[in-house]
Amino acid sequence: MSTPLVVAATVVAVALAVLGVLSTVLRRRIGSAHLAAAGLLELLLVVQGVVATVELAGGHRPTELATFVAYLGSVVLLPVAGVLWARTEPTRWAGTVLGVAALTVAVMLWRLLDLWGVTGG
Amino acid sequence: MAEHAEHLSDPAPEPTGASADTARGPGRVLVALYAVFALAAGARAAVQLAVQFDEAPLAYLLSALAAVVYVVATVGLARGGRGGRRTAILACSVELVGVLVVGTLSLVDRAAFPDSTVWSGYGQGYGFIPLVLPVLGLMWLRHRSGVAAEQAADPGH
Repeated sequence: MSTPLVVAATVVAVALAVLGVLSTVLRRRIGSAHLAAAGLLELLLVVQGVVATVELAGGHRPTELATFVAYLGSVVLLPVAGVLWARTEPTRWAGTVLGVAALTVAVMLWRLLDLWGVTGG
Repeated sequence: MAEHAEHLSDPAPEPTGASADTARGPGRVLVALYAVFALAAGARAAVQLAVQFDEAPLAYLLSALAAVVYVVATVGLARGGRGGRRTAILACSVELVGVLVVGTLSLVDRAAFPDSTVWSGYGQGYGFIPLVLPVLGLMWLRHRSGVAAEQAADPGH
């Protein structure tokens, strides 16, 4: 796990959540800004996933390995699931759906970092 | 854009087959939140039951119950219709009672809850979302039930 990557991904996730809620407040559907932010978030998560996998293969052991791996797998899938689900929602609430997914990613990332242990930073 | 514009008005029209009445508009946000909690509570309960069940059997069984309730609520909301709404209302009610009872117990008897569950401290560890979610769920279901009843009384609507 890389702390700078977690911070970067958190910033993008929070920005995506704000964009999402904003589109709901403004009664708009999600647009290319949302998709771009979600894409960037996904990219950061995949990189993070690769980094963590390499370090796991290198012998690093987080506190709860099973939980860690399950979280890592889920967090990478979340933006994809969020986008797919938001795109089938024809109302202004699509943005908030995406926001929920984004905030969940942010929370899970910090939980992952917590499980990883400070030494891995 | 014209076809999108009509969808933007609230409340949303009855389903045209795409997705259930309770899983559209704000309901979709609820389903998303419930799905996240179903997964989070489920994963947590699975780990607790598998690895450390002996430490606090009551707390971990309640954790598992919470996970089941979230799954049932998610499915009920996602499916919608009369049956789905009824299922979701039951699940949300159990959830509300659960978070209040477990929340109180976890504050009164800390020894029985050494490891926080989703409902400990009224969902404190999860930003109190577990406390707010059933209330929002029940309000939304009540609203949808009202709309459905109106449409049943006036089919030409």
